[in-house]
Amino acid sequence: MARYGMVIDMRTCVGCQACMVACTTENQTPFWSDKFRTHVEDKEQGNYPDVHRVMLPRLCMHCENTPCLSACPTGATYKTKDGIVLVNYDRCIGCYACCIACPYDARYPYESDDVNRERELYGSNATHEVPHVDKCTFCQHRISLHTEPACVSTCPTHTRIFGDLDDPASEVHKIATSGKAAALNQGLGTSPKVFYIPS
Amino acid sequence: MTFVHQHVWGWQIATYLFLGGLGGATFAISAILHLFEGCDRKMLSVAVLSSIGFLVLGTVFLLADMLQPLKAAYALTNPNSWIFWGVIFINFYFLAAIVYVIPLLEEWPKLLPIIQKIPAPLLSLLERFNRLAALGGSAAGFLIAIYTGLLISAAPAISFWNTPALPLLFVISGFSTGAAYLLLLSTFSKKETAWKISEKLEQLDAVLIVSELIILGAYFNFALFLPTGARESAQYLFNSPVFIIGFFIAGLLIPLAIETYGIFFSGHSKKSNSLLAFASALVLIGGYLLRFFVLSAGLYQYPW
Ligand code: SF4
Ligand code: SF4
Repeated sequence: MARYGMVIDMRTCVGCQACMVACTTENQTPFWSDKFRTHVEDKEQGNYPDVHRVMLPRLCMHCENTPCLSACPTGATYKTKDGIVLVNYDRCIGCYACCIACPYDARYPYESDDVNRERELYGSNATHEVPHVDKCTFCQHRISLHTEPACVSTCPTHTRIFGDLDDPASEVHKIATSGKAAALNQGLGTSPKVFYIPS
Repeated sequence: MTFVHQHVWGWQIATYLFLGGLGGATFAISAILHLFEGCDRKMLSVAVLSSIGFLVLGTVFLLADMLQPLKAAYALTNPNSWIFWGVIFINFYFLAAIVYVIPLLEEWPKLLPIIQKIPAPLLSLLERFNRLAALGGSAAGFLIAIYTGLLISAAPAISFWNTPALPLLFVISGFSTGAAYLLLLSTFSKKETAWKISEKLEQLDAVLIVSELIILGAYFNFALFLPTGARESAQYLFNSPVFIIGFFIAGLLIPLAIETYGIFFSGHSKKSNSLLAFASALVLIGGYLLRFFVLSAGLYQYPW
């Protein structure tokens, strides 16, 4: 049993958005409706004259205390034994309670128009067969093949680091416990498993 | 830190929340009045039937907003979710309200042939459980009204909603719309009993509006003094003329003034009948606007 998590190094992200593209092709997310499982936020930091741009890649935080899961009436949202928060497409009724509950804007509706468009583009390889609420899966299908999530393998600057937070030998464990990296909006008590090294 | 308007729940869900509170409260008030005051059974049957209608319609709006309404029965899976409880309360309510209303329908000569088709033992059973159904249905109605607030308060990043003041506000406002609806009904009835009841309803609605004003004061006070999204939301509402004029002035203050006038100065005279109907309609419109605007003022506070 692992406890998967990610570290994002904001010092090295250049905002190339390769992760967004990799995720889109890997997971057939509806880019045509401008919906993504991972985004790169372009922020301004500091006050004039000391202002600089920082890039903040974001995705589902796979929260340990999971507000989206508590809000989901159908059990469509569930957590694997490795702590990955997933949606069972067939069980999701699309009530949006999870979208309201998620503090990190990690979910979006895969609507019936999106399902149709996906079928046009991917034919019999389409993976989203019914409308549902969609989110990042940490590329669980790749992890089970011992490959890293698509965004992580693609990132040219090693900004995204993935691994088992419980494994003392892993890079994510070392960084997450070093105090160098912190989760976002900790005050909400969600205990995210994505940590950020500030720029 | 950025504040972003939520856009997943719009006017359809506002309608669901409004009809849920209205339907639940209409039943609870009419059944309680019936138990303790006795009243015009014909009017009561109309009130209960319409409360069922409100909840059916509300449920239709909820279902229409879903991606997969045909699978809605799955919602009975996770008891940690408010929607789970909403489904339980609403179904329990339907059961109690139907048991309660069937014997009342005997008041309508046109419906009598249908009622007579119901086997006599069943009918007498329904009558025997009438008081229990009235109490159970009222409790469920109250729970539905409070659930409409609990549902949206489970949003950790929307600080304007994530407060116990919101369910309280929705339940009081729900009961105020319920009282206003019953008041409106009673203004159509020519019977003396209905007129007596309407006096009670007028007083009840005025008390509820005053309580709503107090809760609103506390709610906005809390929102405006925290440096969070709640303050942004409160400011957004202050800057929405339809919220201020439509809800606050026309939906609360004007009906309160009319009802106060009716209670203290005109001695609840029949001349004020149309004025009372007007006040009730305003309360109902205000109740809808409150939910619509609270939903549209929902701002996520994102850490980027
Ligand atoms: S980030 Fe949002 S979607 Fe992901 S686990 Fe947390 S609450 Fe759920
Ligand atoms: S939209 Fe789907 S995943 Fe989200 S709460 Fe509703 S049923 Fe659960």
